[in-house]
Amino acid sequence: MKFIDPHIHVTSRTTDDYEAMAAAGVAAIIEPAFWLGQPRTNVGSFQDYFSSLVGFEKFRAAQFGIRHYCTIGLNSKEANNEALAEQVMELMPLFLAKENVVAVGEIGFDDMTAAEEKYLRIQLEMAKEVNLPILIHTPHRNKKQGTYRSMDIIEEHEIPPHMVVIDHNNEETCEEVLRRGYWTAFTIYPKTKMGNERMVEVVKKYGAERIIIDSSADWGVSDPLAVPKTGNLMLERGIPKEHVELTCYKNALAAYGQSGQFEESDWLSPEPIDQRSLFEGNSVLRGGQTPRVDKPEDDRIIQ
Amino acid sequence: MSYTPIQLLENWILRQASDAGQAWLDTQREAVASGDPKSLYLAFGFAPRKIGKADLELTERDLNDAAESRPGWQPQTWTIDQAARVLLLMSLPSEDDAAYLATIEKLFQTAEIREQICLYQALQLLPHQELFDDRLAEGIRTNIKTVFCAIAHCNPLPMELMSEPAWNQMVLKALFIGAALDPIEGLDQRVNPELARMLIDFAHERRAAKRPIPVELWRVAAPFADEIALEDMKALYTSGENLEKSAIALALVSTALDEADEILKTDPEVAKRAESGDITWRGIAEQAYASEN
Ligand SMILES: [Zn+2]
Repeated sequence: MKFIDPHIHVTSRTTDDYEAMAAAGVAAIIEPAFWLGQPRTNVGSFQDYFSSLVGFEKFRAAQFGIRHYCTIGLNSKEANNEALAEQVMELMPLFLAKENVVAVGEIGFDDMTAAEEKYLRIQLEMAKEVNLPILIHTPHRNKKQGTYRSMDIIEEHEIPPHMVVIDHNNEETCEEVLRRGYWTAFTIYPKTKMGNERMVEVVKKYGAERIIIDSSADWGVSDPLAVPKTGNLMLERGIPKEHVELTCYKNALAAYGQSGQFEESDWLSPEPIDQRSLFEGNSVLRGGQTPRVDKPEDDRIIQ
Repeated sequence: MSYTPIQLLENWILRQASDAGQAWLDTQREAVASGDPKSLYLAFGFAPRKIGKADLELTERDLNDAAESRPGWQPQTWTIDQAARVLLLMSLPSEDDAAYLATIEKLFQTAEIREQICLYQALQLLPHQELFDDRLAEGIRTNIKTVFCAIAHCNPLPMELMSEPAWNQMVLKALFIGAALDPIEGLDQRVNPELARMLIDFAHERRAAKRPIPVELWRVAAPFADEIALEDMKALYTSGENLEKSAIALALVSTALDEADEILKTDPEVAKRAESGDITWRGIAEQAYASEN
């Protein structure tokens, strides 16, 4: 089975993770712009981070047979540094039209401050202007209020729910998010957001329509194989294969496919070899071939 | 009659683009010409979506026109969005050097891979090229081979602008990352003793590690071959594979060294083919990198 992990911060992951993800069937990933753990103090840091998301990280992933896409946005925590936030808003037009940008995100609330709301609204308008889907990050604290408030604001801006993915849901929030018609995403992130046994129960209860599973794996203790592991667990626990395909692949494709920049043919039947866009080592990945991994036969020998 | 690069790009796009794409491009070029960087940034980003990503369908004649309008310009690998992006760049007002440089630099700093390829190939047609020598030197530090090749291959700017250290780094790095040397414009004109020394050291090091030596290396190293180089060449000429032998023969033939004749005598068959023009550097490069295409 093929998987999409539509929310993973691979910038923090190693090449071992990429190898394991490819081996587990992860064909495409989306890396939402988020914070790096340490707050950025100037706009140049954002510029270089965004550049790495649309450039080097996409290239690095391709070397392991994984198609990399991203979302661009100012995250909620850093929206609270208003002087910096203003400069990031000026920077965004340089990035929103890049080829692997499939949404504006992840944006939303952390502390639910006025500044967070201001930059959420500005970015919602930007997404409308360039006709991109939106990825909403919902807060860890005061989650229910933050989630509902985000949806209220989106509705004030007259953005249709099918253009929006609300992420980091749990058993408490998902019913309302589904009811209002949004893509309802769950982060399988150990110890905090959602475990995969709980996820199995959610899919049993609510079905697979508009539900999306991701790992959000980043620099914290997290699992880049969360999507394939959850998919396999769902199969084991008797969830129909169609539902696994929807939650671990097809729904993400439909949601982010609305960008026009996220198509299955990108990874299933790649364009003919193109010397201009060929990434180093990527020639072996054409036509569904397995990626070349140059591992010495004897692990003790370093060639 | 001869054309300007702008006329050529316009004609090529006109031949291939949809009416809607063409209309979009015309409008954007006007907006960019008014001097607003934001319109350039957005249009530059959206060009592939609006005008497509097809290869430019260029005839032999088009390529000749290109080389006539800008010596060294070889647009045979260009795509239609690349052409459109270059026209957008060429619409940007350029009277103010500093402002012009700042705007183009912003694009470089935020470019994704295809955009970087486009920008590095575009520079050869843009004004104020002399301001971009540092940018070229910076560009070859990339880890991304296609971006490196957009600078090094089929691009007259490195030959025209790069300082000797930057040029030497580019040639050495090409060998390191497995990029061909033959498509580097001005390769034979800009050989120099320092470059040859670096390549000779590199070859010697590889031989000591029992690793293969890129065969094109000898083209650049041979004109300044020292004792070590000659010894390595001699050993490889006796024991190497066919392609390696051909390359070494061709390299030795081009030198006037007495030792070269001695080495060539050990396999007169290959030497004869090198002397007769049967072996060429283009052919060697094509064979060396055949598996990549
Ligand atoms: Zn995230």
